[in-house]
Amino acid sequence: MIDASAVRLPVRPTPSTIAQWWVLTIRVIAPTLRNGELFTQATAPIMFTVGFYLPLKQIMGAVNQGMGSYAQYLMPLIALTAVAYAAVSAAFRAATDAVQGINRRFKAMPIGPLMPLGSRTSASMYRCVIALTVSLVCGHVIGFRFYGPVMHTVGFCVLMLLIGAVLSLLGDLIGAANENPEATVPILLLPQVLFGLLSVGVQPVERFPEWIQPFVRDQPTSQFVYALRALAGESPATPGDVTWSVIGPALAWVAGAAAVAIPLHIRVASRRR
Amino acid sequence: MLSTDKAVVVHEIRKAFGSVVALRDISFEVERGEVLGLLGPNGAGKTTMVDILSTLTRPDHGHASVAGHDVVADPAGVRRSIMLTGQQVALDDMLTGRENLVMFGRLQGLRKSEARLRADDLIEQFDLDHAADRHVSTYSGGMRRRIDIACGLVVRPEVAFLDEPTTGLDPRSRQSIWDLVSDFKEAGIATLLTTQYLEEADILSDRIVVIDHGTIIAEGTADQLKERTGATYCEIVPRDLRDLPAVAEALGALLPDTTRAALTPTSDRVAIPAPDGPNTLVQAVWQLAAANVELRDIALRRPSLDEVFFALTGENTNSSGGRHAVAEVSS
Repeated sequence: MIDASAVRLPVRPTPSTIAQWWVLTIRVIAPTLRNGELFTQATAPIMFTVGFYLPLKQIMGAVNQGMGSYAQYLMPLIALTAVAYAAVSAAFRAATDAVQGINRRFKAMPIGPLMPLGSRTSASMYRCVIALTVSLVCGHVIGFRFYGPVMHTVGFCVLMLLIGAVLSLLGDLIGAANENPEATVPILLLPQVLFGLLSVGVQPVERFPEWIQPFVRDQPTSQFVYALRALAGESPATPGDVTWSVIGPALAWVAGAAAVAIPLHIRVASRRR
Repeated sequence: MLSTDKAVVVHEIRKAFGSVVALRDISFEVERGEVLGLLGPNGAGKTTMVDILSTLTRPDHGHASVAGHDVVADPAGVRRSIMLTGQQVALDDMLTGRENLVMFGRLQGLRKSEARLRADDLIEQFDLDHAADRHVSTYSGGMRRRIDIACGLVVRPEVAFLDEPTTGLDPRSRQSIWDLVSDFKEAGIATLLTTQYLEEADILSDRIVVIDHGTIIAEGTADQLKERTGATYCEIVPRDLRDLPAVAEALGALLPDTTRAALTPTSDRVAIPAPDGPNTLVQAVWQLAAANVELRDIALRRPSLDEVFFALTGENTNSSGGRHAVAEVSS
């Protein structure tokens, strides 16, 4: 059934790195357009907006600390949750690749060792951009606005995408190391709930019991929320206090997570047993 | 020092994982266009050998080259020259067969249009027209294996590594993989085929290397291996099994004492060494006829590769081992 011409192809071309990166990125993105993943990614921020905003705005409205509206207060956490959700998809995808053995095959092909990771990361950025865009639209609907100068708005988006990138890198690392798509998702949902609810995203730190306040204040989600709130501003009159002491910790968490994840990825990717 | 006219050169390769030694001082060569069968039971070290040659694993000692490229010093050169299909089919399950082919073509440097043409070509060659636009997750085992190998052929490899390519396949799919290996040979592609099926090694390989516990225990053509581990023997079945003692009596010196002693009331045949081939058989027939023993069957037998393999690996459970295994009385 297979005749000899199947194995005859004389020229062996030289692969281009950029073409490989593009092909591997499209490989991850293409199925999301037809298996419903794009739809899920786009509706998740709507769910988070409705799920957080509706039940909490009445309770929290009374205590919000001078914020123009609770929407303004809550929006950073909604966007962070949406981006973290995208990172879970990245982890699922990495675990699927690992378990299907396709990583092994790529390693025996003329493909750079970090290329599969690089292309999965760019595909994650596609998910994060969707998550951020839909979150911003939802935020606008419930009353969230950017009150700072344009550079602050750009900073808000860049910081969100940086956070998305490191969360995806971490998720990808866990997925690739775990090699089990079914087990990877629960592992990642737990910290998401823990760090999301025990943060200043929903309510101010003073509303938590005193013994847990240091954790709530200093953990990364809260630091991200502080920075994002500053970049968005509070109201037309108070455009937000963007200083290094507010933005610095968030950037430090991002840099720290990247500093941990990237070397581990290089180790996993270039590992030859 | 490495001669580049050899497709694969393996010299004193050693590899251990922790305290487990996977390969001990393995050396062999594969010529261009040759099919070498690497035969061994599970855990013998076959996959480790393939992993080293395809640059997935680094050897602890020794050196190896593939298509003239050293696996440690020039892994990129090796990767440009090989195709690898592992025991596990390695495809993107979320893509269709055609999309997988185009993706691998583009990863190997084909332009989009070239990759599409090549995909069409391979789909036709591999008899996958009906399924090309379905997700590979819906494919049967044989179809998955075929598209997996096709993805390795989007550009021409100089050396193909097929790691147990027919494990778990139905006979028809297995036959199509066998045909493909013959095509590799015709096209001058050196092939290293690992298998635990003796039949497969026997049919496909020009030469066979038998490994067990990480050591080469035999090497040669299928015929040489059969010769080495057991000469031809003659098998005799009387019409009435109660005549077995009479058969043993009539054979006289043709029947070795050890075999005679091993005869039991439940034995159903007698086997004698046949160093002179047909002459031994004629001699046996003559002696048995003189003793008036009626026979159901008498024939010259050569040990199957299975028996050779069991003899070599010492896994034959019902014998004292070695070449006498085949000369003993079956029970």
